[in-house]
Amino acid sequence: MSTRDLVLTALFAAIIVALGLLPPIFLGFIPVPITAQSLGVMMAGVVLGARRGAIAVLIVLLLVAIGLPVLSGGRGGLAIFASPTAGFLIGWIFAAFVTGYLSERLVNDQQSALVQTVSFFLTAMAGGIVVLYAFGITYLATVAGLGFTKAFVGSMAFIPGDVIKAFVAALLGRAVMVGYPLLPVRA
Amino acid sequence: MQSLYVEGNSVMHRISPRLKLLSLAAFSIALFVTGNLVLLSIAALLAAIVYRMVGLPLRDGLRRLRPIFLTIAVVALFNLIFHPWQEALVPLLRLTALMLFAATVTATTSITAFIDEVTALARPLERTGWVQADDIGLALGLVLRFVPEIVGRYQAIREAHIARGLKIRPTTLLAPLIILTLKDADNIAAAIDARGIRRHGS
Repeated sequence: MSTRDLVLTALFAAIIVALGLLPPIFLGFIPVPITAQSLGVMMAGVVLGARRGAIAVLIVLLLVAIGLPVLSGGRGGLAIFASPTAGFLIGWIFAAFVTGYLSERLVNDQQSALVQTVSFFLTAMAGGIVVLYAFGITYLATVAGLGFTKAFVGSMAFIPGDVIKAFVAALLGRAVMVGYPLLPVRA
Repeated sequence: MQSLYVEGNSVMHRISPRLKLLSLAAFSIALFVTGNLVLLSIAALLAAIVYRMVGLPLRDGLRRLRPIFLTIAVVALFNLIFHPWQEALVPLLRLTALMLFAATVTATTSITAFIDEVTALARPLERTGWVQADDIGLALGLVLRFVPEIVGRYQAIREAHIARGLKIRPTTLLAPLIILTLKDADNIAAAIDARGIRRHGS
């Protein structure tokens, strides 16, 4: 990995950590605040692409594992991975990878703003919702013994919030692509 | 940032990090292989005892585990509604035992010990060309170094919004944050290469 890529990845991991330290953001039209950290995970794929995005998330999880309270709310340590929701944490890596993989191939700077934003929205949802929930629900169903139906139904309540996050991630992806494009384009 | 390591001299403190991690892995497997309530209860009790021996004041020790245990308890409650209580108790005991032992490993292993261990574990992988073991410590160090700067930048952008009377929106706040932070990458990379910190990379 080139030094520049390593630094970009580490800086993005730092952004994800910083987002966990910030208070939840209010969007104005919705009374429930969104925690920015999982937004950061979608962003990793959209801004850096598959490989660097996934590694950035991996670095964050490594920081959690070695005992630093970098998850939102000051949580950290190996015990986090004993929680029933640990699947959603492991899933972050794959979510960032899939979002990045699709973004690299679907988005380029020749497209209009609308096409770019919609494409990023779709890739953010594919990774940040479909893939993430696949991991989260599977872990919940198997390790926590909840069974797939109940795990699935119980997790559905969080989808609307994540759809909004995917939308914000798309807007941000487009803004960053205009300001400082970093996405490797593989047609 | 305050780490979760707790200074002390208990049995767990004196065991090597590698042995602790291997024990944690073995413990996890053992927990999921058995469904015996008695065995699982004993495992949970032993894990609780080992955690207590770390030396954390009771309130702090419990406070660390509260968010995790709350989730475990809620899921167990859910389970209880739909399944007989013996079935609901199994994941409750399993995850609680795992949580306690994992928290013990975290509390008795310092950050540097962990990083040394991860680097050592990654060393054999250098042959595949996927990862340079020393890059891991470098990346972790970079993150810790730049988090305060990013938080400061966020505050500055936020204040600039307020000063201009602009509504604070995620897009107008986070886009500059990300762009400005990532633009630093070239300078930082040049500084790292100028110091020859990465012997292998380019």
